[in-house]
Amino acid sequence: MKVLCDREKLREGLAIVNNVVPARSPKPILENVRVIVNDSSLQLIGTDLEVSVRYSIDDVKVGDPGVTVIPARVALDFIRDLTSETVTIDTNDNVCTITGGADSCELVTMDADEYPVTPTFEDKDTLTLQGGTFTRLVGQTAFAAAREAGRYAMHGVLITVQDDNLQMVATDGRRLALSSTPVQDVPADIPPAIVPTKGLQMFCRVIEDPLSNIKIKFGTNQIGMKTKHAEIFARLIDGDYPRYSEVIPTECKNSVEANTQMIERKLRLVANVTGDEARAVRLQITPGQMEFFGHSVGRGEAHAMMEIDYKGEGSDIAFNPDYVLDGMKNAERETVRLEFNDKTSPGKFSLGENYIYIVMPITVDV
Amino acid sequence: MSSKHPSSAQAGVIRALPEVVRNQIAAGEVIERPASIVKELMENSLDAGATHVQVDLEEGGSMLVRVIDDGVGMNGADLMMAFESHATSKLREAGDLDHISSLGFRGEALASIGSVARCAIYSRPRGDDIGLRIENEGGRIQDPVDAGGPRGTTIEIRDLFYNTPARRRFLKRPSTELSRCLEVVQRMALGHLNVGFVATHNGKRNYDIEASMDLPARIRRTFGAELSESLVPVEADDGMFKIFGYVAPPRFARRDSARQMWFLNGRMVKDKVLVRVLKEAYRGYLDPGRQPVAFLHLSMDPALVDVNVHPAKAEVRFREDRRVFAFLLNSLRSAVAQTDMATPGEGLLRKALNRDGYVHHPGQGAIHDPGYLPRPSEGRPITEIREVPGKPYVGGGSFPVYGRPASALSEGDNATVGGGHAGLGTDAVGAGLLTDGAVDTLPGPFLQIDKTYIVRALPDGFEVIDQHALHERITYEGLLREVQNGSVEVQRLLVPEVVEVSRAEKALLEEHKDALAKIGIEIEPFGETAVALQGMPSRLRHPDPMGLVRDVAEILATTGKSPTAADVIEEVLHSAACRSSVMAGDALTDDAIRSILQRGKQLENDQTCPHSRPTRVRFTLGDLERAFHRK
Repeated sequence: MKVLCDREKLREGLAIVNNVVPARSPKPILENVRVIVNDSSLQLIGTDLEVSVRYSIDDVKVGDPGVTVIPARVALDFIRDLTSETVTIDTNDNVCTITGGADSCELVTMDADEYPVTPTFEDKDTLTLQGGTFTRLVGQTAFAAAREAGRYAMHGVLITVQDDNLQMVATDGRRLALSSTPVQDVPADIPPAIVPTKGLQMFCRVIEDPLSNIKIKFGTNQIGMKTKHAEIFARLIDGDYPRYSEVIPTECKNSVEANTQMIERKLRLVANVTGDEARAVRLQITPGQMEFFGHSVGRGEAHAMMEIDYKGEGSDIAFNPDYVLDGMKNAERETVRLEFNDKTSPGKFSLGENYIYIVMPITVDV
Repeated sequence: MSSKHPSSAQAGVIRALPEVVRNQIAAGEVIERPASIVKELMENSLDAGATHVQVDLEEGGSMLVRVIDDGVGMNGADLMMAFESHATSKLREAGDLDHISSLGFRGEALASIGSVARCAIYSRPRGDDIGLRIENEGGRIQDPVDAGGPRGTTIEIRDLFYNTPARRRFLKRPSTELSRCLEVVQRMALGHLNVGFVATHNGKRNYDIEASMDLPARIRRTFGAELSESLVPVEADDGMFKIFGYVAPPRFARRDSARQMWFLNGRMVKDKVLVRVLKEAYRGYLDPGRQPVAFLHLSMDPALVDVNVHPAKAEVRFREDRRVFAFLLNSLRSAVAQTDMATPGEGLLRKALNRDGYVHHPGQGAIHDPGYLPRPSEGRPITEIREVPGKPYVGGGSFPVYGRPASALSEGDNATVGGGHAGLGTDAVGAGLLTDGAVDTLPGPFLQIDKTYIVRALPDGFEVIDQHALHERITYEGLLREVQNGSVEVQRLLVPEVVEVSRAEKALLEEHKDALAKIGIEIEPFGETAVALQGMPSRLRHPDPMGLVRDVAEILATTGKSPTAADVIEEVLHSAACRSSVMAGDALTDDAIRSILQRGKQLENDQTCPHSRPTRVRFTLGDLERAFHRK
């Protein structure tokens, strides 16, 4: 195998693949990158058996097609620190020589046949949407997915496609983010998929141009995505996703409209005093006004006021400010709406046209 | 074989014992060993108003115990009565028992001692020009004769148990008996301020307390400077009871209670109530099974306490034991919390040195051959030393420097503050110290070792902090405070978490539903073998609902049938705090470290974790100097 390619492009590709390649694995071969050279392109493949990535580099000069498996991290580090414009990869027996200008290294290769088989993307029955839209939806939801141990199903983002609508939902049991976007030419019978957040982050990482389209393929136990240069497959999380639709309030007694930035600012203000241990900020709502109140036994208390649009008898509810702020960061509108029934029922923030964020309140027994 | 009991036909077998034998038997109760004599005689001296007491011993006291005091003394008539049993100057009628303020009162000591040893008393009362001497040899009392000598009383007890060899055989080696005698003297010295004490053995001065020394000085003389300097004073007075004394940090705790001393109206007591109250005061700071070190003087109207329940008067009975308990617990608990709970590095350091093959040669003096100097860099498996990103002199970044500009944290500071001893191999230690002395602004930098321990420079050394232990304490205190205020913030769950439990566990959980709700764990029954968790304390950092419910069920099952809410709370809080704390192995940024330390500082106690493991180990410059043989 022999190939010549642009150093910067190769570095970029290896960097992406290294995001997936585990630093330490019980299967040492997974710490490697599989390099495939065919007639006109060079492909880099990495996987941790949960997520796999196949990155293609065009504009390469192929001397000799072939396959090799080399240590991923070492290859990236060496190529990153080379100064030449181009790099040559050349294999001979069990040695892979990487040359850039006058500098070179020889890496030990592993048996390419032992490398796990990774899926390839088929263009049949795929869903097409703009890369930027996909990234936005992930950003609006993935942060709410669970991180702590247990409830494995909630460690991913639930993606469903129904009635020409692609919807993403994530929750950790205390808050829930739901965002959707209309899509066209939807293939029939797409099953719901719980995609690990790591996989989604990889998806977003390889979207270079937000305006160009990406393709998504839903399988029974994996989901694939294709951009111009990359194909990524993520294994789906097998489990029952909580029945979230029941907790989204439909009719609420209290409805507040307020400026997004102002809410953010006031919350931060009060949270400065409550600190990160005591985590409740109480919202006291009266017609025309919302008061933020937080206190911490060891520190003191803080009040903040802001004007709101509210017609009702007044009410109050307390939230973890961090949770609310997470949502505000992703709000699409200048004005958001908060709806809730009472202090023990979920608070529903409408943050965009098709974006809602539910936060469970904090209650204080007295 | 005709008769098994040949004497049965003669006079009755029961006879009254001669007085000497009576006293010898009685002596068994009071006089076990030389130390008991020391105790009885010193108590007499103190009751006689002595301001200086000297104890001379020979062969651990078995050959000679001589107690010399400068008290009121006795005249001839007193001396004649002194060896009579139940003869005392301290009590006149039964009613006096209700308000005993003297140490002795039973009138048994001298009679008992006189029956088992050769005794001599010399005494010159105040105002008399000439003294008297009386001798008693195993109960044979001679008439007093005139003798010259200092004012006060001197009692000599020689050849203890010379006439009761059975008892003599039970005496231990002289060194053991000596240490027991000295213990008595020490206790007396700690219990009776304003009195001077001297102890000698075989003519050598062993112990010396001047009358003018206060309690810390006496403790220092008795147990050394390290203990006395770490003590925290206790002082309280509620009109009825008065307590004064010192408590030591938990690290001084011992398996025995030799250094736990209670003095009730000046009398050394070993009372269960008092031992328990001290244990309670140290609860959470101390491993169970260890006895805290404390020196406490409790005073109250003698009418409020009955000291006549035990021959050695070690146990007492309080008329209002609940009130005493509450009073003591309040004053002790706050003092205990103020003690410095960090483990001193000295012992650890020594261990570290031993690990490196360092051999200590006694008698070689302080300066060692350089060949023995420890070389910490060799063979020590420091797995990973990682400097936390964002050190102050790394340009740029968003590192906030507290208290002073980054440029001030230069090499120059190292030298001034570290006193030239800051060379610990990393420039992290020694920089950015608290020269201002006033408030600890936690300037950093911090060094995280093995993602578990945080090293931080102090003005007089450095400390190593166990990040998990400290964070656990913080979480625990926060939860506890909320529980005590009756306001636990509950993060409600979007979808109730259904947790499968056994039938027995479910019954338990339901039974304690209300108590659990008080600590922020809201549970509803869900089918026959499951419960639904509706909400949990919002303070938990990485809540694991399933683990939480299972922990709770386990605690309920193991703590017994009807645990009080408080028990459950404590246990649950411990494990809840543990579960949601920063773990050993979490890499922390400087900011995170600083925030943990800062939050720890706001607590009453950030020195131990809820399981009473220490959160920090402190190495002083002294430790380092010792380790490097600069001293």
